[in-house]
Amino acid sequence: MRKILKSVALVFSLMVSLLVLSSCGSKKEVKNTNAWTQAQKTDSLTWGVKADTKLFGLMNVKTSQIEGFDIDMAKALTKKMLGKDAKANFVQVTSQTRIPLLKNGNLDAIIATMTITDERKKVVDFSNSYFDAGQSLLVKKGSPIKNVQDLNKSGTKVIGVVGSNSVENIKKFAPKAQVIQLQDYAQALTALKSGQGAALTTDNGILFGMAVDNPNYQVVGKAFTKEPYGVAINKGQDDLKEHVNKALKELEKSGEYNKLIEKWFGNIAGFDYKEVER
Amino acid sequence: MSMIEFHNVEKYYGKFHALTNINLTIEKGETVVLIGPSGSGKSTLIRTINGLESINSGQLIVNGFDLASKKTNMNKIRREVGMVFQHFNLYNNKTVLENIMLGPRVVLGRKEDENKKIAMELLEQVGLSEKAESMPSMLSGGQKQRIAIARSLAMHPKCILFDEPTSALDPEMIDDVLNVMKQIAKDSSMTMVVVTHEMGFAREVGDRVVFMADGQILEDDAKEEFFDGQPSNERARQFLSKIIKH
Amino acid sequence: MINIVSSHSSELLSGLGQTVLCSLIALFFSLIIGSMFAIFEVLPNKILQTIGRIYVEVVRNIPLLVVTMFFYIVIPQYVVSIDGFVAGTIGLTIYTSAFIAETVRAGIQSVSGGQMEAARSNGMSYWQSMRYIVLPQAFKIVIPPLGNQFINLVKNSSVLAFVAGFDLMYVGNDIASTTFDTINSYLVVGVMYLIITMPLSYYMRYLEKRTNRGAA
Repeated sequence: MRKILKSVALVFSLMVSLLVLSSCGSKKEVKNTNAWTQAQKTDSLTWGVKADTKLFGLMNVKTSQIEGFDIDMAKALTKKMLGKDAKANFVQVTSQTRIPLLKNGNLDAIIATMTITDERKKVVDFSNSYFDAGQSLLVKKGSPIKNVQDLNKSGTKVIGVVGSNSVENIKKFAPKAQVIQLQDYAQALTALKSGQGAALTTDNGILFGMAVDNPNYQVVGKAFTKEPYGVAINKGQDDLKEHVNKALKELEKSGEYNKLIEKWFGNIAGFDYKEVER
Repeated sequence: MSMIEFHNVEKYYGKFHALTNINLTIEKGETVVLIGPSGSGKSTLIRTINGLESINSGQLIVNGFDLASKKTNMNKIRREVGMVFQHFNLYNNKTVLENIMLGPRVVLGRKEDENKKIAMELLEQVGLSEKAESMPSMLSGGQKQRIAIARSLAMHPKCILFDEPTSALDPEMIDDVLNVMKQIAKDSSMTMVVVTHEMGFAREVGDRVVFMADGQILEDDAKEEFFDGQPSNERARQFLSKIIKH
Repeated sequence: MINIVSSHSSELLSGLGQTVLCSLIALFFSLIIGSMFAIFEVLPNKILQTIGRIYVEVVRNIPLLVVTMFFYIVIPQYVVSIDGFVAGTIGLTIYTSAFIAETVRAGIQSVSGGQMEAARSNGMSYWQSMRYIVLPQAFKIVIPPLGNQFINLVKNSSVLAFVAGFDLMYVGNDIASTTFDTINSYLVVGVMYLIITMPLSYYMRYLEKRTNRGAA
């Protein structure tokens, strides 16, 4: 009996010390330094980007450079904001790691297929939307699943990626379906192929990227949500946010934005790139 | 029929010729003492008798069974041929009483009350009744060896092999063990094969003395001939004179 | 921390349940499979020895995640449809069994050869000698390292998170990504793992002491 008490006491003291630790940890936030003045000083910005998402941010194994629409946008924004010689640095993030990395100051901004949501606005600030995505479904060709309503049956499994907005949406649109969250898009796609779920759901732009490489799979149904992508910036960094918004407007006006859209989405079958042009 | 017959037995460990052309017959009820310098093959020879070592060629017949034959069930032979080891090898996870009772129970299916009665009698015979519930780790070497002998006797074997039973013991313990062995030799019609350096024991209870060196049997005499006469083999004479001087 | 526990208690509890369930199943089967291969390795039979050796060497030298992914991705494509929980539990079982095999083999081999010889000379068959003499002694030797394997097994069950096995780690990832409170989410998960592993750790110690007392 004494031993049990002893071990209980030990667990409790551990919990308490962890609590103390965690309250210390949350205090450490990067509010004090102004990211915009810092960026002007160093003539560079550090962006969190995806490296596993075709069309938006994908590691090219031959050049070991990350390539995609998000990357080109980040480069264009950086140049617009800081001048021609400014440098855009890239840090690989996942849906799960991007917000913690931003908050602890490793990133100046995130441009990583990140939908602007009210939930996220509580934690970070967003620029104006830089891409109008919508959530859709990827299924094997010939699948009986035609749209999101078809998924709303108990026993149906839908694959998503941990930390992405789309898994929360599926809970609303098809509450009876079971959501399986995997670590990244590559794993999610492999799981779809091995039959672990009836459909893979995320933003249409990403799904079209997958369909390009996997001709046996297709995007079905219209986008059933609006997923405006925004650049995420730490709270309190209003200077930086305003400059991003200003640069974004200039890119749209000058036609550079539409050029990038065409470059990346111009010849994707089934994707009407005119719809997302500005 | 003899108890043990070696016919032209050869045994190798890799290239090492451990036993060379062994021919030896041991009759039922005989007590044979195997002597010789260390590394002479005495232990190997005794271990072939219950199949702990296999032979490479020749014929070895124990209790009427050919050990080289695949049809021979070694477990059956070992029921009839007990063995006592230099390092005792009592079952460390069993009490003294269980050490003695386990074999008869699982091998012979002896009834529990009878099994216990026999075991207690044997404990009395070796003078260790009060240790029945002790664990082996609590016993001295001499006590362990007497329990090991009792464990062998409990199977009621026709033959017991003793592989240097006293050479790991402190000198003051040796006599206790030898006395038990002498008693067995005198009381019963059991065949005993004993590898030992105890010449006193050999002289007192041995019927025959076999001298080995370099894996060969060099001398095989009746006890009186070996000790009172002169061994015909030169090396046996030297060995004997050394041992007796000591 | 308290916030996360109170607002996600049902998910956390179900995650804890899945982790415990997976651990118990994997513990039971890996002990059986591991002991089997350990015995293969010590049997006087060259073929079985080789089979045991190959099994242990191959399985223990592949990362757990790879073994698990194999069952999650490959098996459903070609053999039978299994979900993340089943795939993860099988992967964990196979992986752990290799380590248990090594532990048990070492335990058996550390029992002195004289014990087996004595039992055989006593007329017992190989299996009787194993059962009554060698294995009980090996088991005693093996308890402490086996305890380590069991604790590792519980922690390794977090591999389920990678194949959507709805375990504690999976729930932790989910909470972290919806609340954005990464630090506290994983602290809660860490403490919940402690709740499983600490009693296990103490129980193994108790077992160790008891068996030592049993046969000093």
